Amino acid sequence: MQDYKDLSSYINSKIEDIKKEILSNKISLLDLELNPIFQDLKNSINIYNINKYSELYKETFKLLNQKFEELKRILLSIDNQKNFIKYLKSNPVDSELAQLLTECWIDVFYSDCMSYNFLEYSRDRFCKKNIASTELEHLEKSILTKEFLLEFPKRKFTEKLMIYFELIKNKLPCKFNDIFEDENDQIKIYEHFVYILHLLQLGKIKYHKETESLYL
Amino acid sequence: MNEISILMHILSRKEDLYRIGATKDEILATLNIKNKNKSIYFQNLIINLANYVEPLGIQIRFNPLDSHWFISFDPELSDIISAYPFKSQPSLAATLFCILIYCIKNSGYVSVQDIKNIRKKENIYDDLRELRKKGYIIIHKDVNQIQLTPLIGYHLDINKLFTKLALKLK
Repeated sequence: MQDYKDLSSYINSKIEDIKKEILSNKISLLDLELNPIFQDLKNSINIYNINKYSELYKETFKLLNQKFEELKRILLSIDNQKNFIKYLKSNPVDSELAQLLTECWIDVFYSDCMSYNFLEYSRDRFCKKNIASTELEHLEKSILTKEFLLEFPKRKFTEKLMIYFELIKNKLPCKFNDIFEDENDQIKIYEHFVYILHLLQLGKIKYHKETESLYL
Repeated sequence: MNEISILMHILSRKEDLYRIGATKDEILATLNIKNKNKSIYFQNLIINLANYVEPLGIQIRFNPLDSHWFISFDPELSDIISAYPFKSQPSLAATLFCILIYCIKNSGYVSVQDIKNIRKKENIYDDLRELRKKGYIIIHKDVNQIQLTPLIGYHLDINKLFTKLALKLK
């Protein structure tokens, strides 16, 4: 039976933790990734937990909606320069302003003596797929300690068939079972039986059904 | 040499103390692009270049203060702390911050008096001289006004700064 996952209690506690942290101003919804929760929900939903999960979906969507609302508010306030001036007039400490600058600082790349060769070499190394040629190695033939199961026959089938025919020719006519009486090996009996069938097919020997005997 | 090499060259060159890279028109002229779809071509060019150089840890950026395209190191991969010029000078950074906010509010200019009032510092002129030396501002002594140079637009992600500030003030 397939093992069905149920992450409902785990996801529920995660949502509760997020709510607590937001209410206590520890985190902002805008800094929070909701994707992992939606992924967990998607990957573990099944017919057995669908009732619990529908509630969890609702709760997670509430967080998502709230996040959109936060984003809307931020976008509206970005243009509000009066607020920025008001903030500066509130005498923030220098380190606070310096920290904001540090977080948004960009390290500019400029060079008046760029090496195109090195650039292209780097680009090729980093951006292209590794297509190094693969060398084909010859396989080493292993040494067999036992006889190979599908041993290649030393003689052709027709040759072996005729040798067997010569062998039994002098015994005929005889009962079908008597042909195999000296043979104990089952594989050999099967092999000889196949020869008999072929010899019958070729008309070299004949079979008398009533007496169950073979004859020439 | 192909478009990538030419773009890398013109976007990484320093024209003068305040200008790095090239404008859209300069890029199109250098590549001799004159057809009517040149804007679409330009957009694709920038996107392709950005994708191309991303594995090298560099990014293509736009400076809204002087409409120049330029190249920067990926902030996640570069050592911002060592590139940051105000490491042990938070006061200088704070003065630049105030000038930036006021200049954006007043369409590019701010009076020295306004900065003096907001900073509440005796030796504000030391900060201004230092910022001028670093190339971030021009002081117009005749009208006692300060103007930002485009340099800050290269070194500061202004959109990110405003978003962070808005988040802080919400």
